[in-house]
Amino acid sequence: MKNLLELMGIEADRIHFSWISSAESTKFVKVVNEITAKVKALGPNQRFVKQAAKVA
Amino acid sequence: MGLAKRKAAYVEYAQAVPLKYAIDADSCIFLQKGKCGACQKICPTGAVDFKQKPSTETLNVGAVILAPGFTPFDPGRFDNYQYANLPNVVTSMEFERLLSASGPTAGHVTRQSKDHGEPKKIAWFQCVGSRDQNKCDNSYCSSVCCMYAIKEAVIAKEHAGDGLECTIFYMDMRTHGKDFERFYNSAKEKGVRFVRSRVHTIDPTPDESLNVRYVGDDGQAITETFDLIVLSVGLQTNPAVVDLAKQLDVDLTASRFCATDTFAPVATSRPGIFVCGAFQGPKDIPQSVVDASAAAEAAGEILTPARNTLTKVPEKVAELNVNGERPRIGVFVCRCGINIAGVVDVPSVAEFAATLPYVEYATDNLYACSQDTQDALAQTIKEKKLNRVVVAACTPKTHEPLFQETLIAAGLNKYLFEMANIRNHDSWVHKNNPELATKKAKDLVHSAVKKVALANPLTEAELNIAQSALVVGGGISGMAAALSLSRQGYPTHIVEQEAQLGGQARNIYQTAKGEAVAEKLQELVRSVEQDGNITVHLKTKLDQVEGFVGSFKSTLAGNKGQTVIEHGVAVLATGGKALTPTEYGYGKDPRIMTSLELDRKFMANDPVLDTAECAVFIQCVGSRQPDRPYCSRVCCTHSVDSALQLKKRRPEMNVYILYRDIRTYGERELLYKKAREAGVIFIRYALDHKPTVSITGSKVTVQVTDHVLGLPVAIDADLLTLATAVLPNRDERLANFFKVPMNEDGFFVERHAKLGPSEFATDGVFLCGLAHYPKPIDESIAQGKAAASRAITLLARKKIFTSGQVASVDPMVCSSCGVCVSVCPYSAPSFIDASARMHAGKAQINAVLCKGCGLCVASCRSGAIHLKGFDNDQIFAQVAAINWD
Amino acid sequence: MSEWEPKIVSFLCNWCSYGAADLAGVSRMEYPPNVRVVRIPCTGRMSPKFALAALREGADAVWVSG
Ligand SMILES: Cc1cc2nc3c(=O)[nH]c(=O)nc-3n(C[C@H](O)[C@H](O)[C@H](O)COP(=O)(O)OP(=O)(O)OC[C@H]3O[C@@H](n4cnc5c(N)ncnc54)[C@H](O)[C@@H]3O)c2cc1C
Ligand code: SF4
Ligand code: SF4
Repeated sequence: MKNLLELMGIEADRIHFSWISSAESTKFVKVVNEITAKVKALGPNQRFVKQAAKVA
Repeated sequence: MGLAKRKAAYVEYAQAVPLKYAIDADSCIFLQKGKCGACQKICPTGAVDFKQKPSTETLNVGAVILAPGFTPFDPGRFDNYQYANLPNVVTSMEFERLLSASGPTAGHVTRQSKDHGEPKKIAWFQCVGSRDQNKCDNSYCSSVCCMYAIKEAVIAKEHAGDGLECTIFYMDMRTHGKDFERFYNSAKEKGVRFVRSRVHTIDPTPDESLNVRYVGDDGQAITETFDLIVLSVGLQTNPAVVDLAKQLDVDLTASRFCATDTFAPVATSRPGIFVCGAFQGPKDIPQSVVDASAAAEAAGEILTPARNTLTKVPEKVAELNVNGERPRIGVFVCRCGINIAGVVDVPSVAEFAATLPYVEYATDNLYACSQDTQDALAQTIKEKKLNRVVVAACTPKTHEPLFQETLIAAGLNKYLFEMANIRNHDSWVHKNNPELATKKAKDLVHSAVKKVALANPLTEAELNIAQSALVVGGGISGMAAALSLSRQGYPTHIVEQEAQLGGQARNIYQTAKGEAVAEKLQELVRSVEQDGNITVHLKTKLDQVEGFVGSFKSTLAGNKGQTVIEHGVAVLATGGKALTPTEYGYGKDPRIMTSLELDRKFMANDPVLDTAECAVFIQCVGSRQPDRPYCSRVCCTHSVDSALQLKKRRPEMNVYILYRDIRTYGERELLYKKAREAGVIFIRYALDHKPTVSITGSKVTVQVTDHVLGLPVAIDADLLTLATAVLPNRDERLANFFKVPMNEDGFFVERHAKLGPSEFATDGVFLCGLAHYPKPIDESIAQGKAAASRAITLLARKKIFTSGQVASVDPMVCSSCGVCVSVCPYSAPSFIDASARMHAGKAQINAVLCKGCGLCVASCRSGAIHLKGFDNDQIFAQVAAINWD
Repeated sequence: MSEWEPKIVSFLCNWCSYGAADLAGVSRMEYPPNVRVVRIPCTGRMSPKFALAALREGADAVWVSG
């Protein structure tokens, strides 16, 4: 799936996968923080928002 | 535990049920001095009542189950560990709290001295308050502390990183539970150090670290410094429980656990009173859960005639037909007291909701889940003719069923409902950002409204459960399960491949408690044979199984041809067998035998038992080695017991047990002690220095390197017993019939290692006995009863409703590619028969088997599968509703 | 507009991560409010189409967690 998105010109860091069991709240928070930081570094998503995209 | 202070208004612990605050009378200023009372004034629901007094109530019951558990041993009395004086000596219970995310240090392990430094070296001392008659009165083994110490060491290393050194000082490492040996091995790989030595003294250093003196493997005295010491304290019965037992006239063992028989493991000495958990003997969670189900079953047998006499049936409300109606959505935003409203601007969320399309009504509530709000909600649904409902409150995982009940009471289909989680996912986690939290709440509500607008009423498949059971395997666990099922009124079939009932137990001479197995087994077989409700099929195997929970159809193939039986549940009790050894000269000399062959000699009163000069036992034959990395659990106790029997018959016989760790867990430890006192000699060997056996002329000679002396010893044995591994009766076909998994070793895999030990993840299929993991007779019987108990909870419902949130195929779009058939973990999709009149060859999904995971939906390339309740258009609508501002 | 904040749509498995998120709330942990949660029955339900839809609707990133 990540490959597919990259193929379409979306940066790999725009999609994240993780595995967290229902007891791992600490990990959950850690992942939220990490992802938020990564995406912040990446800047806004401009490629694919509705106005710009013709494909559905 | 004194690690941190508790406030006067407290919650017992984060997972407590109910998760409600209570008032600690000892530290509440109002209750102690009559002042304050602030909580009563500010509680918005008026829940605080200072006038509550203890009261005594009398209940009339048919059975009693004792589950009072244990108290951790208090090491304060031990002066050599100086627990009371040294802050950096803690108990394992305290250490659990230090590791816990909800503990006083939020999972960050620190020293308990004033420096609160991060420890670099931690040591665990095993058997504190266990296996010790000198310093305390607990000569039994507490069973669980070896495993929890390893777990604590591994977790501590995970939290603190590899820099942390963890050392466990032990006597015997007892990891006899399912998958525990693997965990032990992996802990060694992760760098946890294991030192076989009992520590004598601890001396504090000036910086409050601890010098530890012990004797190393080579007999040298070693001194090492640790930053923190964890005492692995044992389990014991609380004195108050001892009093309770006296009051109830229930017998205790010498170690003050509840006395039970091997063949009735949850029955106390007093009829009608049952026991489970650590009060029956020190044990871990899975075993306690097995016991609990078994005790419930035993009580259920007495109560069967009274079943359903006290239940109240709620009135049924006819469901309104909302099909074709335009959505009329009601939105209820909960304040949850200040839990939500303290952060999120609840009225503005409700106002916002009112502006959304199809929303007819929006309001906010103080507590949406309280009974009066529920009644009001039902009333509003009727008055405003709402046909869809959104509640923005806490988590659907706990509260969805409650609101759905209210919908049903108001005549709405329960799937016309959606929750927006604005508490757990919002107000609680963004308390310093009320503005953004309110925005988020609006988005979540918007999503939920969009989704519910597209919701359709769903029907739940109703399923009758055939009121009968099939037990595969007629060993003691299978028989125990069958008797339980039958006594609670369910006709039961036992399928046994051999010509007689009894299984492995037929080969065993006596139990650890000294009961003759043959006698008890005969009684058990007789009660099965005489039970009119049980049909025994001997020399029979299963040939085919069709159907699913509630309606299985199994074809039995026996010597009288084939029979088909229908049953609602199945219990797999296919047991195990002893390994046939290929080492230590087995098969080359009649003096070399397995444990079970020695038992046969005992049963036959073989004269060699009275003439042999020397007997040797070799432990762990085929167990705990790379090709079979599990402990067979029964063999240590078995050999120790046999050795004692030999000594009893012929005290002058030399008896040796060659072992790696002696694993006589629980009160079995007393046998080990007795054997040492009787003069049985224990010699330890290491896996890479296995003993060797040579047969020369008239002699069988065993060579072993004594670990203490470091010298090889040669022993001429007249009896050489190999304590062989226990293997499962692996049967792939059977596993496929019931779609249940097996692990690498061939044992069945239960639903949950700790909390679901006697049932499979597959509904309606249960397991017990050796087929689950090696275990002694008492544990096999308890699990047989437990499997029956779990099965009965299903059978007693007579009907079940499956979830409406299942996948379904649109046959017009299906291309018959079969992806769904192959990906579904629950075998729900299948092809419609080629001869069918409609849609032949297309896929169909069995709503009963479908768990609604949606795997097939995502993998169907034709887009032919829809997941009711989570359909594509619903998820797209949800995503589209997220506005961000 | 002050500092730009990323917008993340997350698809959480009902049985795993959704529960972890609930527990994070129970434990009163704090994390940035940049995530919007869509509950799905299982990550098996996840389809690339959902991720694309989220990005198209203006999300800066998608997070799928089982
Ligand atoms: C070497 C050894 C030593 C032991 N020592 C002790 C001890 O000292 N003390 C103690 O308490 N316990 C001991 N045990 C454990 C004790 O034997 C078991 O706890 C108990 O007998 C297990 O009963 P069960 O019903 O689970 O399995 P089993 O007794 O194995 O019964 C399973 C039955 O299922 C039948 N079966 C298997 N597959 C099928 C099939 N597909 N279709 C139909 N029938 C099938 C088998 O023929 C068998 O009759 C020992 C076990 C072994 C192997
Ligand atoms: S040997 Fe027994 S008492 Fe000692 S630590 Fe291990 S499990 Fe506990
Ligand atoms: S002899 Fe059996 S019970 Fe003892 S340690 Fe070895 S495998 Fe485990």
